[in-house]
Amino acid sequence: MNAETLERIKEECRKLPAEISYIVGFVRKQSEPREVVAVLKPDEVDKLSFSPLSFNNPARTVMELAKDNKVAVIAKGCDARALKQLEKEEKIERENLYIIGISCPGVIDYRKFRNTVKFRLAEIDSVELIGDEVVVKAGGEEQRIPFSEVIFENCLYCEQPTPKDYDVLIGEPREGKVDFSDIEEFEKLSAEERWSYWMDVFSKCIRCHACRQVCPMCYCNECLVDPSNLAVSPMTPAEEKAAYPRVLGRTVNAADNLIYHIVRVMHHAGRCAGCGECERACPMELPLRKLERKLEKVVYEVFNYSPDEEIPFLSKLDILPEG
Amino acid sequence: MEDFEPKIITFACNWCSYAGADLAGTSRLKYPPNVKIIRVMCSGMVNPAWVLRAFRQGADGVVIAGCHPGDCHYTVGNYYAKKRYILLKELLKFVGFDDERFKLLWASASEGKLFAEEMTAFTEKIREMGRQEKLRRKIE
Ligand code: SF4
Ligand code: SF4
Ligand code: SF4
Ligand code: FES
Repeated sequence: MNAETLERIKEECRKLPAEISYIVGFVRKQSEPREVVAVLKPDEVDKLSFSPLSFNNPARTVMELAKDNKVAVIAKGCDARALKQLEKEEKIERENLYIIGISCPGVIDYRKFRNTVKFRLAEIDSVELIGDEVVVKAGGEEQRIPFSEVIFENCLYCEQPTPKDYDVLIGEPREGKVDFSDIEEFEKLSAEERWSYWMDVFSKCIRCHACRQVCPMCYCNECLVDPSNLAVSPMTPAEEKAAYPRVLGRTVNAADNLIYHIVRVMHHAGRCAGCGECERACPMELPLRKLERKLEKVVYEVFNYSPDEEIPFLSKLDILPEG
Repeated sequence: MEDFEPKIITFACNWCSYAGADLAGTSRLKYPPNVKIIRVMCSGMVNPAWVLRAFRQGADGVVIAGCHPGDCHYTVGNYYAKKRYILLKELLKFVGFDDERFKLLWASASEGKLFAEEMTAFTEKIREMGRQEKLRRKIE
């Protein structure tokens, strides 16, 4: 995650197979030190950037693009995992991908970063991870921040920092781990404590549905969570609108929001890539990974299933416990 | 808890459990009137969101009833039902909801007696647990 990584990425992108029409990579945002996902032509390699602030997941963009193009993609472990999942679900064909895998040491939590860095964001020239320090440079000055102070918490539990499936890999492979200690800790609380915790969390949710919108696994055209997919015109009478089928309450209150979130994560069982986009996107900064990780734990422990298996979780029926 | 009559919603599959409930009726086996049955074609079509919505609308207990494993009219619907049941129950427990209020039952068309007994026992259990307040929609 330093200048050298970026050089390696560029080098690989310069010698891509000729049939590749796009590169989905990271480009630095204007007047901010972070990168965003961008679609580039193979002759725009110089625009590429990469740093510990390249936290977004390109899988969703790739899914759209790879329908009728061959695409090269720069993928961290979790990005590759999302791509793999989309491939399993026949949303992407592997032949259309050229994966430049990055062995990932973790990314920075931008919220923590903004609170820690002493420079104005627009002044920052570079952010690099060197050893276990984040080195921020701005106008000849330098600030060193221990990585542990600004790391995105989700990355501490990363299962697959190194992509399993890639065409080229940059960096030395890293070991992932299956660690649910945070979830186990939470489960020790009493039911009442857990309930008030989640009621407090979800009373803050404003139901903007950003967490669904960014998730690479939430690609359905029609989502159960939308108030109604049926046409409403100014002429539709109120009684008719009221009679439209709806499963989820439209009101924004803690209980309806909780139901929304339970439904959302249930749809990710055995599929979630663990990228943390949902949590990053949330304007209310809610701990969304916690609910998702509980589900991951159930999938591992009760069904003995790993999202990395070739057969999708939904189609596997021989993994039910007895009874 | 004066005059508490629990409301139990049972999603019963057409081919086994609903027929089982019917048999309980025709054999004059009693089960509590608290149990409201919603007939579905297969336990595998019960969307977990319906279960949550039932609780939201004031159910004190929810049951999904289907054919025994291996007997589903659509071969595997009940396996899907069970998978979702486990996931939803675990999540409910995790958020601190009394997951005991949610039950999965296998009852065949000939098990009218079992159906009646299970429903009676479940109703009594819910009666003891009291009203479901956590997800119930309140007039605020
Ligand atoms: S979840 Fe893993 S692969 Fe993804 S950014 Fe964090 S450490 Fe990297
Ligand atoms: S649920 Fe969150 S962590 Fe999982 S794949 Fe979707 S955005 Fe990533
Ligand atoms: S992104 Fe946050 S506020 Fe928006 S719907 Fe999701 S949890 Fe609620
Ligand atoms: S038909 Fe009875 S459970 Fe599927």
